[in-house]
Amino acid sequence: MRFSLGRLRAIAIKEWKDAVRNPQILLTAAMPIAFSFLFDRKEGSDPSVVAFPLLLAVSITGAFVQANMVAEEKERNTLRMLMMSPASPAEVLIGKSVATSALALLVMIGSLAVTSVPDVNPIGLTALILLLLIAFLAFGTTIGLLSRTVTESSIVGLPLLLVVIMGPMLGPSLEMGWFSAVVDWLPTQHFVLGLTGLLDSGSVAGIGVHLAALAFWCAAACLLCLGVYSRKRFDK
Amino acid sequence: MEPAIAVSQLERHFRSKKALDRVSFEVGRGEIFGFLGPSGSGKTTMVKILTGQLQPSAGEAIVLGKRAAGRRDPEQLRRIGIMTDNSGIYERLTVYDNLALFRGLYDAPEKSVAGTLESVGLAGEARTTVQQLSKGMKQRVALARALLHKPDLLFLDEPTSALDPMNTARIHEALRALNRQGTTIFLTTHEMAEAEKLCDRVAFLNNGTLSALDTPERLKLNHSDRSTITVVATDGRHVVNNDREGAERIAGWMRAGQLLSIHSDEPTLGDIFVKLTGRTLS
Repeated sequence: MRFSLGRLRAIAIKEWKDAVRNPQILLTAAMPIAFSFLFDRKEGSDPSVVAFPLLLAVSITGAFVQANMVAEEKERNTLRMLMMSPASPAEVLIGKSVATSALALLVMIGSLAVTSVPDVNPIGLTALILLLLIAFLAFGTTIGLLSRTVTESSIVGLPLLLVVIMGPMLGPSLEMGWFSAVVDWLPTQHFVLGLTGLLDSGSVAGIGVHLAALAFWCAAACLLCLGVYSRKRFDK
Repeated sequence: MEPAIAVSQLERHFRSKKALDRVSFEVGRGEIFGFLGPSGSGKTTMVKILTGQLQPSAGEAIVLGKRAAGRRDPEQLRRIGIMTDNSGIYERLTVYDNLALFRGLYDAPEKSVAGTLESVGLAGEARTTVQQLSKGMKQRVALARALLHKPDLLFLDEPTSALDPMNTARIHEALRALNRQGTTIFLTTHEMAEAEKLCDRVAFLNNGTLSALDTPERLKLNHSDRSTITVVATDGRHVVNNDREGAERIAGWMRAGQLLSIHSDEPTLGDIFVKLTGRTLS
């Protein structure tokens, strides 16, 4: 059966309507905007500080909201019904991700309204955000699939996501060699370095290595997600 | 005509435990087939195999002409409907939005939502949020979702569990109407009364094996000793022997205009299940 935009649209509309009626999702999505006030750019501050509100917006909305939505589908036995419909795994996962991405976009706009829009190459910025968002959506879906309940998705995801999200912020100040070495590999670190590179040089070519690293993380996260999905989709 | 379901020597093992052991049966097109057994007897495993969620360990299951091999088959999924007891409806969405999602997934016509809601008696609740509905109404939403695309074969897992008699009757009515239009229904339940009311044939499953398979009427006749008849007359209830002397006594009540009711002492399906398996269904 061919990929159907109609089915994808039906899932995306359902996800959006469900998300905007879910207080837990709305609260999670509001967190990055609230955090943005901490990163309000003061005159003379490090210009790369603008990376952190965006990082929080993409990662918290992309991963936590997606994990919450998937885990709730399992907890309430609705994922099984979706999978027993003619919708393909790709249609279900992309449909969910479209709704989460729309929410992430709104949160990013909200965060940037609090801080400021970085004066950087828009193509480079879009590429960085898009790659990081896809990786986090895949991480979030995987965490949701591995969890039996919404509460469990927080327990499973929080430690991992704290390291991934907070690593670039805390790494330099912790002065722990091994931790810094781990942080250097993280997609979030490549995002921060990529955005800093864009601020410095303004050239997309100058951040090629970070875009490539993020693309690798995207591919790896999507493969992991599909692998877990094929094994866990019917389990509670 | 090719049967809707043909199961032959089907087995399913979970490590060393046999959930299904050499089970064979057929379900004809347009039939309402009851698959009865207590919790843990293998009913859900059978439904999972027939709907492609599980692969059989041995044997074969043919559903609507296609081998059930434990793989998703979107074309096949279009032809079947599934309703489970844990209904899996989106509670924060309206009744209409729940059905609109599945209308989109099955590519069903726009008007199918209103028509299906009408058929389950929920036309007036389209704009109501599901979490505001009673359990019986939620079950009817789940049934509506399963019927939306007019499936050839409908799997129902305990469709009226914990429902009040009025909601149970409404669901039964909707199922009979659907069956009259030609839909085959595979019903798993431990409610014997429900099976007796709805099913053309029933199969008893116990510890993964079939203990009996027949129409409810024939099962009751075959397991009735037919030695006594219960009569209610104006002077009370009497149990008379099913012989010449008993016939004379009944004729006497009839001649005197005192006979109120008369019935043979048939066992219920529950009684027969206990007799055959030594277990109760609940």
